[in-house]
Amino acid sequence: MSTQIGSLLFHRKWILAISLPVLIAAWWAFRPEKLWINQKVNEAAPFASSSEPQPLYTGRLQGEAHQTSGRATVYKAADGTEYLRLTDFSTSNGPDVHVLLGRSGDNNLKQEIVKGQLDSIELGSLKGNQGDQNYSLPASANLQQYDAVVIYCERFHAVFGMAKLEQF
Amino acid sequence: MLSKIKVVLALAALAFTLGLQTSARAQDTMKHDDGMKQNDGMKHEDGMKQNDGMKHEDGMKQDDNMKHGDSMPQENNGKALETGTFHGKVHNTSGRATIYRGEDGKLILRLTNFKTSNGPDVHVILVAAKDADDDANFLKSSTKRVELGKLKGNEGDQNYEVPTGTDLTKFQTVSIYCERFNANFGAAPLEKF
Repeated sequence: MSTQIGSLLFHRKWILAISLPVLIAAWWAFRPEKLWINQKVNEAAPFASSSEPQPLYTGRLQGEAHQTSGRATVYKAADGTEYLRLTDFSTSNGPDVHVLLGRSGDNNLKQEIVKGQLDSIELGSLKGNQGDQNYSLPASANLQQYDAVVIYCERFHAVFGMAKLEQF
Repeated sequence: MLSKIKVVLALAALAFTLGLQTSARAQDTMKHDDGMKQNDGMKHEDGMKQNDGMKHEDGMKQDDNMKHGDSMPQENNGKALETGTFHGKVHNTSGRATIYRGEDGKLILRLTNFKTSNGPDVHVILVAAKDADDDANFLKSSTKRVELGKLKGNEGDQNYEVPTGTDLTKFQTVSIYCERFNANFGAAPLEKF
């Protein structure tokens, strides 16, 4: 009787002796508690540049009806006004081409030719089909809703290209 | 009468095609505090004829100097070179990675709006673009990489120094990388800003 209990205890010791290191090793390897523990940091930008225009949103232009490339970035100037800047920009020239803000989820923008009225904010005629250029944004423009820059030919309702703006 | 109309039509067609072909080039500078807005309009007028030769790798900076005559030391201070957004692979990862050039010429990687899952032994690395597509869940041992340091936190804005001499044309993807399990938590392919 007592030997049985003794061997049982002995076995338990062995089980403990093996399983404990295994458990510890597994914990060390996976650190599962980290799934619930967040480590938040908040470093400042590595340079003081509050007087410089700060980029708020940016995106790459992609061609639709015509090949279009470059980057569209919305900047906030020191005086608080916001403007759109196109860099490395290139598209095909065309008649009556405008720069608009549209909704990236708009089904109209998924086609090359828009049928009907495009829900958009007008920023002005395209200044040039190549090169860096700025367009001022109306103060009322809600960039959360109108989150796409569209190069749009008004005459033929053609979407030359668009860029989805993402938070910088 | 008919031939006159034909001539007019032909001329109109010619003008139309010419209008399509000439490319208008604009070259706006960055807006600064002083009256740059004027500049904007002015430059545009003659943008077409003038700017061809002027387009330059960093035309923005040069242009500025030319127009104003005063140097802009801040232009180099914290100029964003490349940027990209994270997509999660093994773990959900989101946010933006941007490489800046500091005034001393040093390259700094900054993560903003950043979020990933916490994990053991997580590092920030740059991966050579041709070695691993950024969709890889696990990195091959042959993948060339540049170590930027241990991940400082799984949430929030953070800066990492890029070793001097790092070739950004080669190392084009930022990866949040778990060394222990060789896992690519998330990756951000960088594109020119």
